[in-house]
Amino acid sequence: MDKVLTTCVYCGCGCGLFLHVEDGRIVGVSPSPMHPMSKGRLCIKGWLAGDFVSHPDRLKFPMVRREDRFARVSWDEAISIIKRKFREISDKSGPDSLGVLTSAKGTNEENYLLAKLARAGLKTNNVDHVARLCHAPTVVGLGYAFGSGAMTNPISSLAHADVILIVGSNTAEQHPLVASYILEAKANGAKLIVADPRKVQLADLADLHLKPKPGSDVAWINAFLNVIIQDGLINERFIIERTEGFEAVKQSVSVYTPELAESISGVNAQDLRKAAIIFGSAERCAIVYAMGITQHIAGTDNVQALANLSLATGNIGLDGTGLYPLRGHQNVQGSCDMGALPEFYPGYQKVSDAREKFQQAWGTDLPDRPGLTALEMMAAAENGNLKGLLVVGENPVISFPDTYRIKNALNLLDFLMVMDIFPTETTELADVVLPCASFAEKNGTFTSTERRVQRVRSAVAPPGEAKEEWRVINELICQLGIASCYSGPEEIMAEIASVTPIYGGIDYGRLDVNGIHWPCPDRNHDGTPILHNERFPINRARFRPVEYIDPYELINDDYPLILTTGRSLYHFHTGTMTRRTSLLDREVPVPFVEINSDDALAMGIRNGQRIIVETRRGQLFLDARITADISEGTIFVPFHFTEAPANVLTNWALDSQSKISELKVSAARIRRPEDDRFSG
Amino acid sequence: MIVFLAKDKLPALLSELNEMLEVVAPVRIGNDTAFATWVGQPIDFEKNPQISPTEFLLPQREVLFKYIQHSGRYVFEEVEPKSKLILGMRPCDLNAVKVLDKIFGTEPFDKLYFRRRRSAILAVLNCSKPEETCFCSHLGAGPECIDGFDLLFTELDSGYLIESGSSVGMLILKEHSDLFQEVKSVYLAEKNERISKAKETLNSRPNLSKDKIMGALETADWESMGNNCLSCGGCTFVCPICHCFNILDLGVPDGERLRCRDSCILSGFSRMAGGVNPRKSAGERIRNWYFDKFQFIPENTGLLGCVGCGRCISVCLASMDRWSLKVPR
Repeated sequence: MDKVLTTCVYCGCGCGLFLHVEDGRIVGVSPSPMHPMSKGRLCIKGWLAGDFVSHPDRLKFPMVRREDRFARVSWDEAISIIKRKFREISDKSGPDSLGVLTSAKGTNEENYLLAKLARAGLKTNNVDHVARLCHAPTVVGLGYAFGSGAMTNPISSLAHADVILIVGSNTAEQHPLVASYILEAKANGAKLIVADPRKVQLADLADLHLKPKPGSDVAWINAFLNVIIQDGLINERFIIERTEGFEAVKQSVSVYTPELAESISGVNAQDLRKAAIIFGSAERCAIVYAMGITQHIAGTDNVQALANLSLATGNIGLDGTGLYPLRGHQNVQGSCDMGALPEFYPGYQKVSDAREKFQQAWGTDLPDRPGLTALEMMAAAENGNLKGLLVVGENPVISFPDTYRIKNALNLLDFLMVMDIFPTETTELADVVLPCASFAEKNGTFTSTERRVQRVRSAVAPPGEAKEEWRVINELICQLGIASCYSGPEEIMAEIASVTPIYGGIDYGRLDVNGIHWPCPDRNHDGTPILHNERFPINRARFRPVEYIDPYELINDDYPLILTTGRSLYHFHTGTMTRRTSLLDREVPVPFVEINSDDALAMGIRNGQRIIVETRRGQLFLDARITADISEGTIFVPFHFTEAPANVLTNWALDSQSKISELKVSAARIRRPEDDRFSG
Repeated sequence: MIVFLAKDKLPALLSELNEMLEVVAPVRIGNDTAFATWVGQPIDFEKNPQISPTEFLLPQREVLFKYIQHSGRYVFEEVEPKSKLILGMRPCDLNAVKVLDKIFGTEPFDKLYFRRRRSAILAVLNCSKPEETCFCSHLGAGPECIDGFDLLFTELDSGYLIESGSSVGMLILKEHSDLFQEVKSVYLAEKNERISKAKETLNSRPNLSKDKIMGALETADWESMGNNCLSCGGCTFVCPICHCFNILDLGVPDGERLRCRDSCILSGFSRMAGGVNPRKSAGERIRNWYFDKFQFIPENTGLLGCVGCGRCISVCLASMDRWSLKVPR
């Protein structure tokens, strides 16, 4: 038995683990005790991360749609079809009728090549990935406020905080390793404040649990800051020396009294005051947030509101302080870093500023027309402007909002090519399906939520004819006439380092077993665990006043409930991996809807009863899970399940700044099937 | 039989053994130490690996047989385990093997477990370097190994004392006698000294015993522990005695029947088909885990279900103190 040290494939924590290999197969997983962050611990998904790799459903051969079925073809044939189709579409409708959705599950090297394929090969900036639906507001919001849209401190820094404010993050289930450090802080005496419409596990352990209505965050966070300012708990020296724009924020939040916030958000004014004073009085405060903040039409404003709070109290740049956007995929940070975003080249270099540099580096002319974001591409497919799409390791049919609209958009494409490890609801719609290597079958790097660039190591060979994505993308780039012949991921990383200042010192030899936190500008630099400790990249951090706006959909008599969506501890994203892991699927085998117990009583719904959940976009049959842990008037549906895809219900409305959808708020109603029978 | 092996001769001994069977040993991988097939890597006896070598007797995931459609009927293929020598297993883990032997040896006799068990030679290492979380001596499971081994290594300054405990062990020592030296009395003194020192270290820790732990179980605040538990299952996955498994068939029409480890910390483990769960809360499941170790296994096998290896302490995502049964506050 061989044991191969690598990085976990699930959430953004980036835990170190061993894959146990015998006779070319994965027979087990164990944590790496010396890993600097996970320290010999894993969550349940991590312990079972090897299970899906050898599942018989794995895609093994390239396939091409022939009428209503898929036919197995050779790699050469598949590549030549793809090349021909790309050419045809580009010649007929222009390069911007093509788009690429890269994979947050792929390596940095693969994302870099995919972005290069889009810009240098296909000549379009239409390249995006799933960050658009998770932390696009963080990239935009913190990019504006601090000059860097990433987590400011390493995860372990949380253990040294005096107060931790957790907003819109079910940390114990979605980022269990982060939760372990929060529990450690609590054991050390830290106070815990959780803001979430659901009584998630950490809310149960918290000193204070605030329950804002989904979509009301700016109101209560502004009031939170207002109390801190009124009580003189701001860090004036920090504000004067290191920031700009505080006066405007002070002015704008002054109208947000806790009472006003209560009327908008439902957060008890007394609790809000108490929480603000606890936060304002403490030495070192950390703010942890996730999708509950970002997946709103006010997502970027929500992020800025939290940034304002951090800046006003001077909680940036030191151990135990900071802002912790928790990223959902193991390499969604890296995918952003690699420029799988329409407006940025690798390392957040703006297309408008760095085009010349990349034209030289890649030896070809690059497009200057602005690219489309993920949902803009879907809209363009709807209206016929986007005709060809390459989707890698992503399942938009299940993960994007408004499933029926997404399916329709994908069906309208002339050409859809999907690369994945399993058949998915999206490969079903594809014209060409290519089989990929899983994380256990390739070399490369992932960048975790704490900006730690770490190695991924191949433990077994891909099944059948499946190939590592980088090989396939490399081939495609070459076929499109761009010189691209990398011998392997290490060489790709050398190129990334040469054109990406924040990755300048990243080198496989240096990553070793601990990885390096970017920014790491050169080979003599040890990396930067804590950002902004002396200065911000934009010199002075920026305050920006943000005002509360209503969510896109408000409840009314027809749709009286707020529907919010999310994940379960035991499943990941669209379930392609976890639903093929027997212990995980056994834990949560069926989709469900959480309903407040008083609401359920009023509606005459029993626990476990099959009910109909409806929004303006669609309906689902779901088992009712009745609980006091969710606020009245709110229902929760996890989005992992193909048999009841939650996104049939959700809402496409975009945040104007970051183009994220408001996945967390939809107006909904519930019916009992038996009521239909009587009403005929 | 007892011999002395100079430190620099260990690779030569393993190379010779490697010609006949697969040698498994604690090796360095990155900054870690883990049991893996030895192919010349540096051996590390300093740390007791987090995953017990019992995984070679009861793998995390094991193919019971392959089912293949053949001329309209199914044929079944079984895989023979390779013969192994497991070097560096510590006394705590050997005691765990004794418990597993009893559990899998009770009717219905587990053929597959014993097929692996019989094809494994256990070269145990007397423990002179207990980990910070170890408490084997309090439960009579270490640091010194008395019986049940094929070979017993004790690390000394300049080499290893190797004792044989079975005919297989004696054969190995005889067959490779050219590598060994005669045992001097100072070596035996050094062995005793090292073991006493380890005992001293272990005994200086909070005094635990089966009775004390049973007492703590009666008063433990299971609800608080359950509220803190992050349901990672780590305690069950590192425990050398935890042995629960699930069976699943993967593949249609041809495929494999697999035996995979399971965990009683997961709610699905005890949930009935209709949705009723006799151990509904995480607290109840943790309580069951402890009672299995300290009451049910002793009742069924006469042996304690805990060997004090301490792995469940260091692996706990919620940093629960498993000795005092308290949640961190």
